[in-house]
Amino acid sequence: MTDDLTEIADKVIETDVLMIGGGVGGCCAVAKAKENGLDVTLIEKAHIDRSGSAGQGIDHYEGFFTRDGTTTLENVSNEDWRLGRYGVRYPNLNVKYRLYKCQFWVFEQLEKLGVPMRWDDGEPYWIPFPFVGWERRKTGLRVHWTNIKPILGRAVRRSGARILNRTMAIDLLTTDGKVVGATAVNIRTGEFIVIKAKATLIATGKLMRLYNPETPMPWKYKFRYHFCPASSAGDGYALVYRAGGDLVNMDINAWTFRIRDDLTCSYGSFSLNDGVPMKTYTWDGEEIINPNATRYKQLEDEGKTPIYFGFDHFSEDSHKRLEVAFADERMLSFKVAEERGFNPKTHRYELQDLSPTGFYRVSGIYIDENFRVLRGNEPIEGLYAFGDGSAGGTSGVAGAATGGLLLAEDLPEILKDMDEPEIDISQVEEHKQIALAPLAVEEGVEPLELESAIRDICERYVGMFKSEGKLREGLRRLGSLKDWLGKLSAESPHHITGYLECRNLLDLAEVHIKACIERKETRGNYFRSDYPEIDKDMDGKFFSQRIENGKEIIELREPIPLKPEYLKDAEEEKAELQTADAAS
Amino acid sequence: MADKIEKTSDKHYEDKFEFPLWKLIKQRAEEKGISYAKAAPAVVAEYTKTIKYRDPEFEDKVIMARAEELNELGKKEEKLGIKFKDKKSK
Ligand SMILES: Cc1cc2nc3c(=O)[nH]c(=O)nc-3n(C[C@H](O)[C@H](O)[C@H](O)COP(=O)(O)OP(=O)(O)OC[C@H]3O[C@@H](n4cnc5c(N)ncnc54)[C@H](O)[C@@H]3O)c2cc1C
Repeated sequence: MTDDLTEIADKVIETDVLMIGGGVGGCCAVAKAKENGLDVTLIEKAHIDRSGSAGQGIDHYEGFFTRDGTTTLENVSNEDWRLGRYGVRYPNLNVKYRLYKCQFWVFEQLEKLGVPMRWDDGEPYWIPFPFVGWERRKTGLRVHWTNIKPILGRAVRRSGARILNRTMAIDLLTTDGKVVGATAVNIRTGEFIVIKAKATLIATGKLMRLYNPETPMPWKYKFRYHFCPASSAGDGYALVYRAGGDLVNMDINAWTFRIRDDLTCSYGSFSLNDGVPMKTYTWDGEEIINPNATRYKQLEDEGKTPIYFGFDHFSEDSHKRLEVAFADERMLSFKVAEERGFNPKTHRYELQDLSPTGFYRVSGIYIDENFRVLRGNEPIEGLYAFGDGSAGGTSGVAGAATGGLLLAEDLPEILKDMDEPEIDISQVEEHKQIALAPLAVEEGVEPLELESAIRDICERYVGMFKSEGKLREGLRRLGSLKDWLGKLSAESPHHITGYLECRNLLDLAEVHIKACIERKETRGNYFRSDYPEIDKDMDGKFFSQRIENGKEIIELREPIPLKPEYLKDAEEEKAELQTADAAS
Repeated sequence: MADKIEKTSDKHYEDKFEFPLWKLIKQRAEEKGISYAKAAPAVVAEYTKTIKYRDPEFEDKVIMARAEELNELGKKEEKLGIKFKDKKSK
């Protein structure tokens, strides 16, 4: 074994901050960290100009929960949320609190990065967001951000950060429990790279690819996911898990309606349409309230599905808004709709059925409000995460951007007294061997075949309606897939991506199934056919999973309560709003 | 318009229709020899001027009207015993 890194790696980089993932969150963090005088290296699996879930555009920005008292800070401490009555179990309410609290600062920061936030006359793009009391409230922005990614990409280039596009993180490097950087591979050239970093930040997107995409032809077509396939393999989750960090709420995955009759077109404004929501119909034309998972199951049992979205009540003005939403968020939808003859004026859009989608919002990497990744109750030194992949409400553009900006603002102080990282060369060698192995396999299996097999197991043995027998069978079958990894071949470095993604998906499928076996109840959109009731003892509790000394640990946890000073703040705000309401 | 709509998606497909905004974006992209994404911002900015985004009176009216409809629908469903919350705890 050599002790010279340069003999193993094609490139060795030393940096203050390693940002893994150049989506919305990553780009914001990098630009801000550079502005704060740090040496920053960004690695991005695709290309920062269009990578990640916002690659095709964004049509709404939700974040201003403190304004006008619509959803006040009080909600952060809301009982129902805390107890997870609707299946939503926020692991750490302080994260959400921090995000809400600084939204006007984030507004200014995004503007500084060149992101358009206002109409020509200077008024912010307020959207009448129709959630609370159906009133017109200024809680979010209606944004026309087709080009948000090229704009952020430009800001990152201007910042002078070191940018490595087409570079995929393989694994994190650890020394004495600290994270000291990561290994990566250039998926065009096969170059093997080691990055030594004082702080390693993860914003690699959410996990979705354990289940089929929302639209038809599921097996081979990754581009049928609503979210960006490259940022839906859960790479960050797997990296953190293997490095000893906790993943939480991996038993529940989001169940949200997506539109089946399209390449999942713009969802935000499409369904809520600036305060004028769509109509929801049963197959035989009865108008219903847009159902939650429990209600959908009833409808299914009553033979009332599929269900549809309709826009027949829309004014000409609303139809134009819909078009703008298409243009802002996924222009391709115009083409798809026209080619299929789906005219929203005359056509009802079929919705996806009751199936699991992604792991986000409350699921994913366990963090505290300083975005430190947690191992049990303790932060892992040198490791941070935010954005769609972190549990606790840091998802969406607002969550990702805010997480990145806030953390980057704190970094100079954090890094001040940090030691130079030391690398364990044996880890580097191991990562290299793992990552480049499929290049040597001739006539092996295509990675997508293994991915499809993993998805089949999750669909068939976990799915929406779980039970002990199915879960155990799924776990057994998943175990038998592990050997396949060594049989995957990569014709060129480009195919290493799919192989490494499969490696991550295999680990995460196992984490998912094991969490499901542990949760023996039905709650919100989590259905256990063999345990059809809520288990009150599980109120508000969630599972965390990690590896410690090679052993899998699964623990039942209570959410981290809101700090007393935050709670006080929320109460003061509530009182202020009540006084203001009374005065008006 | 509602009576023209079929219940399921069986007969919904139209032979041909065009989104006016998409047409404008394509036109500009072709004229300037640029991508649709590059063409969109200028076209969308003009198009939004024909939308009543900045007319709060109009917006409030349509939002409240739809909210009222949804409230009525909610009441109807409640009367039918449709519950949106989870089953009772054990
Ligand atoms: C069509 C569509 C419309 C949407 N509309 C809205 C909206 O209107 N409003 C809203 O708030 N949200 C919207 N969202 C969600 C929003 O885009 C995401 O919440 C947001 O982009 C999350 O940012 P992020 O930085 O966490 O992740 P992403 O932006 O997804 O970025 C993750 C990045 O990490 C990279 N990456 C992944 N793995 C690796 C690896 N191993 N090594 C290196 N790089 C890696 C990916 O390539 C990607 O660039 C929409 C999403 C879609 C798909």
